[in-house]
Amino acid sequence: MRRSLSAALAAGALAALTLSACVPSTPEAGGGGDAERLTIATTTDVVNFNPLVGNSRTDSWVTNLMYPHLTQIDAEGQRIPYLATEWGYNEDGTEATVTIRDDMTWTDGEPVTADDVVFTINAVAEEQFGVVAGLITALESAEAVSDTEVRFNLSRPDGTFLDSVGFWMPIVPEHVFSQAESVQEFANDSDWVSAGPYVLTEADRGQRYVMERVENFPLAPEGTPAVDEVVFQIYPDVNTEVLALRNGEVDVIGNVLPPSTAVSLQDAEGIELAQVPSLGWAHLQYNMEREPLDDVRVRRALAHSVDYEAIREVALQGFAESTGGSTLTPTLTEWYDDSIQEYPYDPAEARRLLEEAGVTDLSLDMIYDQADANISRWAPLVRDSAAEAGITINLQGLERNTYISHADERDFDIYAGSWAVMDNPPANFALAFGTDGFINYANVSDPELDALIQEANEALTVEEALEPTQEAARIIHDQVYDNVLYVETFNIAYSSDWTGFQPVPSELLGIVHPLSLSQVRPAG
Amino acid sequence: MNPSPAAEVATAADELTSSSRTWRAFRRNPLGMGSAVLLLALILVALAAPLIAEYPRGYGHEILSPPSAAHWFGTDDVGQDVFAQVVWGTRISMTIGLAAALLAIVIGLLVGVLAAYFRALDTLLGIVIDLFLSLPVLPLMILIAALAGPSVTTLVVVIAIFSWPEVARLVRSAAMAIVPLPYVSAAKVIGGSPWWIMRRHVLPGVAPVVAISVVLTTSRAVLSEAGLSFLGLGDPNTWSWGTILHRAQQSGSLATAWWSTLFPSLAILLLVVATTLVSVAYNDARNPRTR
Repeated sequence: MRRSLSAALAAGALAALTLSACVPSTPEAGGGGDAERLTIATTTDVVNFNPLVGNSRTDSWVTNLMYPHLTQIDAEGQRIPYLATEWGYNEDGTEATVTIRDDMTWTDGEPVTADDVVFTINAVAEEQFGVVAGLITALESAEAVSDTEVRFNLSRPDGTFLDSVGFWMPIVPEHVFSQAESVQEFANDSDWVSAGPYVLTEADRGQRYVMERVENFPLAPEGTPAVDEVVFQIYPDVNTEVLALRNGEVDVIGNVLPPSTAVSLQDAEGIELAQVPSLGWAHLQYNMEREPLDDVRVRRALAHSVDYEAIREVALQGFAESTGGSTLTPTLTEWYDDSIQEYPYDPAEARRLLEEAGVTDLSLDMIYDQADANISRWAPLVRDSAAEAGITINLQGLERNTYISHADERDFDIYAGSWAVMDNPPANFALAFGTDGFINYANVSDPELDALIQEANEALTVEEALEPTQEAARIIHDQVYDNVLYVETFNIAYSSDWTGFQPVPSELLGIVHPLSLSQVRPAG
Repeated sequence: MNPSPAAEVATAADELTSSSRTWRAFRRNPLGMGSAVLLLALILVALAAPLIAEYPRGYGHEILSPPSAAHWFGTDDVGQDVFAQVVWGTRISMTIGLAAALLAIVIGLLVGVLAAYFRALDTLLGIVIDLFLSLPVLPLMILIAALAGPSVTTLVVVIAIFSWPEVARLVRSAAMAIVPLPYVSAAKVIGGSPWWIMRRHVLPGVAPVVAISVVLTTSRAVLSEAGLSFLGLGDPNTWSWGTILHRAQQSGSLATAWWSTLFPSLAILLLVVATTLVSVAYNDARNPRTR
């Protein structure tokens, strides 16, 4: 009976969607701050409408507005409720439980239940795809205890499990996604069903993506988002996006602004800048499989040969914060350790260390993504300051895919890049610095560090995990397993016709996330 | 077309060699001369870059400042002097342009002359030339440059690979007109080897075409280099005009800092216009009908 009812409802929703698609779309109004439409500029298309697979910025922005996560983060990077209202572990850390809201429904009328959560995580665990798969290696099984309670059985104590799943895993509707043979291959490119603040109704590749308000979104201030329609409009690059914002064609530039653009827009009339810190960091990694980079003195010499202040003040125009060289960044206030100090820029000390290590005429290749505007700007500064210390660095600005394959194959001397989102230090350290870690680009293999990272991962609370994590960060800094340059402060531009955005860390979320867009409203 | 003045000129210039006659006609063309002077000036800038401006490196404290007495072309988004970048860019842009053009000319000359001399090869080489001419050049250049990794050598080779067919076709048609001439047949009859005939009789015949090709291919190569560098496929360890444009575009300061793109663009424009005018003037001067 329930099945046929849902089928009827789905058919009804389908008919409604088809009908609304027939209605001629309203002419391009954009801007103006009316409650009818908020236009967001972006530079990329939605590549994948399946939220479990997609990974471009626009993919996440659009699908995040439709598929709820268990938790979201606040301005300090801490987890706050979204679909989940409570979460925790049992005593020995082998069971994680989550209680979810009972008042959320999919736009086709089906309630969002614990079954959807179980279905999603099981699909990811069975088919092993996307970001989430790598974060749930401890998962043994998941079960719905009731409509609003989920229990995850873990094969080992894993205190990072709920944080990671809560942050990364979008919950998809079982009744829609289960129709496909493989969830991973489900395209989800029409008749979208949403439990977020907006639902996608129209997708014009290369043009725009139109999302309509969902009437019942309990997390919105009055139970309904204030804006009728959110439109993602595609522009070729950030220069044209800025022109469009100046002309009032768009209300928000989703992409973060390059620092020099941010400076030029700081005093622009009618334009506001929201500043959010990155959840990741920009860094240099030295390939320890290659001589003489396996010698810590050489790595320290390299660390002393970087003019960090110049990179932050000139290349980033001051929109960057020092972490003290630590991999625990000030963005995540509860983890930050301010006792770690950056290696001072000191070419003389670098020369002395090199001499001590018996290395002369050091010449290294540094790879980076030439399309990354910030790194392309500071890579020459790294080269020029290293030259002061007698170190030759050859820049290899590569096309993005070539760069990624070089990084994956650990085919470089120096890797210059940045992590976008490092939301949970113990889990991230295991990936980035654990022996055989997936993104352990520097080829770190340090038993002491591995033990600390494991201890931190098994701890069930931040308080317990803090000590081993901070000790791990000290070793990483001391051994220069990673040379952290800065945490970027992102500038996101929007029209002053709007107010109520909720900025949170990372360029992935910024001000274009469900909580923010369900609260935004015309100013004045 | 009264034949008598032409005959007069011919008699007056009888003692002069053909090249000095060309030179005399060229000198009378103000556009050609002006362009030649401009080209020489650019070459001079390229050679004397270290004397003109300090190599742009590191960073400066005046960021995106408009042109002034201290910075003639303003500064870019890390405070480097755009004038210095343009001066040093001249060097790399022209080096890549010339090197790519020479490589393209060598290949084009070889293929063109072979095709014209050996009729059996003509069909095959003709197809190869046509094939290369019909390729989508820019996407392929981008692909190869991206795969091979950015360096000056990569740029030279990539540009040359896609520039030689035009040279080959020009050379082939010029050589086709020479090969059937009686003196070539005579050379064959007296037993000259094909290699010797090609070197001695065919090559000098196509030299004027080649001279123009060198200039035009160079300017096209400079344009290609600027295009590739603008797309981020340039060598990040050197400065070229395209690299300056690329960095300006990437910094997001295109709309506000016009000076960061105007001057390198002007440099490219000047070079392309000058080379085109020089080759047109040379062609006119060489041709007795347009002299």
